[in-house]
Amino acid sequence: MPDSIDQATVEQVAKLARIHLSEQQLADSSKQLADVLNYISQLEQVELPPDVEPFFGATESVNAVRTDEVTPSVQRETILHNAPETDGEFYTVPPVFK
Amino acid sequence: MDLSNLTACELVQQISNGDLTATDCVEHFLDRIKNQDGSLNSFISTSDSAIQRAQEIDQRRASGKPVGPLAGLPIAIKDGICTAGQTTTAGSKMLENFVPPFDATVVNKLTDADAIVIGKTNMDEFAMGSSTETSHFNVTKNPWNDERVPGGSSGGSSACVAADLVPVSIGSDTGGSIRQPASFCGITGLKPTYGRVSRYGLIAFASSLDQIGPMTRTAADNAMVMSVISGHDSKDSTSAKKDVPDFSQSLDKPLKGIRIGICREHFEEGLDSQIEKSVKATISVLENLGAQTTDINLPHSQYAVATYYVVAPCEASSNLARYDGVRYTHRETANDLEQMYCQSRAEGFGDEVKKRIMLGTYALSSGYYDAYYLKASKVRRMIKQDYDQAFEKVDLILGPTTPTTAFKIGEHSKDALAMYLADIYTVSANLAGVPAISIPCGISDEGLPIGMQLQARSFDECSLLQAAHQFQTETDWHQRRPQR
Repeated sequence: MPDSIDQATVEQVAKLARIHLSEQQLADSSKQLADVLNYISQLEQVELPPDVEPFFGATESVNAVRTDEVTPSVQRETILHNAPETDGEFYTVPPVFK
Repeated sequence: MDLSNLTACELVQQISNGDLTATDCVEHFLDRIKNQDGSLNSFISTSDSAIQRAQEIDQRRASGKPVGPLAGLPIAIKDGICTAGQTTTAGSKMLENFVPPFDATVVNKLTDADAIVIGKTNMDEFAMGSSTETSHFNVTKNPWNDERVPGGSSGGSSACVAADLVPVSIGSDTGGSIRQPASFCGITGLKPTYGRVSRYGLIAFASSLDQIGPMTRTAADNAMVMSVISGHDSKDSTSAKKDVPDFSQSLDKPLKGIRIGICREHFEEGLDSQIEKSVKATISVLENLGAQTTDINLPHSQYAVATYYVVAPCEASSNLARYDGVRYTHRETANDLEQMYCQSRAEGFGDEVKKRIMLGTYALSSGYYDAYYLKASKVRRMIKQDYDQAFEKVDLILGPTTPTTAFKIGEHSKDALAMYLADIYTVSANLAGVPAISIPCGISDEGLPIGMQLQARSFDECSLLQAAHQFQTETDWHQRRPQR
């Protein structure tokens, strides 16, 4: 478990997270993430029994299914109302291909 | 009659008796919000339709038609919970203008019971914080001292109840976000068992930890609201198919035979001495009420905050991927799609949210999964097993809610870890999924509220509320009010 993080890695993570960071923010993030990772690294000390299963949450349901019944849903106009840009029927976005 | 001095149970009773109209009740609290919230900033928005709703309920009552169990009761909702037609921001610039097309299930259940949504409360952005300082809509002040934070993330929900701007609010708790602000503001806050209350319509932060719960002045008020909002929901597949008890029914049962474990690890280094004294003083009160107390251990709880800061950011990085500038209100202009994503997220999210998304993205990235997420999930199992073992010996676990009283605004702004440790006693309950409540148990020398936490077995909120109510019959800490 690495407890520091270099700027190139921060840049790669920001790219994966689709968040633009300025040069200054990249430097700040590197320090801030390192502080938290350093704190988290104490988990290395925990001695686990060899057969311990991970616990992902307290829900009792596994593959919860329900009957596929058609019910009225929200109108398209209402949904599109929250979008920054539409053509009235679809979301519109800047060009995907350059 | 000053309505602000009445509990939610008393208000509902008065309206039901015909001694008070829903309209007068709602007008009273809207006036208080108008006159007092300017300096407090506990609300992000108030409802335009609350008075109309109250008039409808009064008319229905007058014409002899049935009304719901919470008829006329004003309720504030944390702004991370969707309200149809009313802006729901999650405290973020990203959702500044987001108007949900639907109500969250809790909001549906409350309005079906004829409670009246009076407004939406301030919170840390996407519930990531312990002070409301990360909100895009400015910090909420603590009603007890305006230089102090109200706690967070449900800080608006705790401050408005403490300042008598509303009798009940709804919060959400991912690592302590109901209990820590309840403690800082001197009110009663319950995080129910994971799955007890539907999360449908709660803007997701960390889905395996998030839970919605009531924030009230008294345990009896809390029980009344819990009976309305609990239960399985086909729209939330993680909600539990358990019968919902009448949480109010067991409140008056004596504590004779109830076994309370005192968690040793919660009284070690880092705990404020005044809090230690106040919480220890509750032990004899509970014993006099018939409870038996004994020491217990939760040995892995020391790793809870570290575990949480792997699990929660991992889940958040996935949940917040949906804010891409396409569907939800905030978009920055850019020449191509990828730049639009990156710029919209850079401008729409605040620093703490970006940091946690980055942390989660890093921990889940190729090559690190085993070291972080898998390891943390195994430690999470150990934390849960500690609870399973403790609850073989005791029915409830008692300790402080927080290591300190409300800290100053800006005090932790340069030290994220100090802020994270504000949740040191509360995060374990989220990791294990067990219910926990914070109730007032003292006032510090600086005049700030002190809270104690009780935790119980999964789905045993009845015992938590019973013990809290019994404690409140013997003490008056929950009746103390800030001088404003």
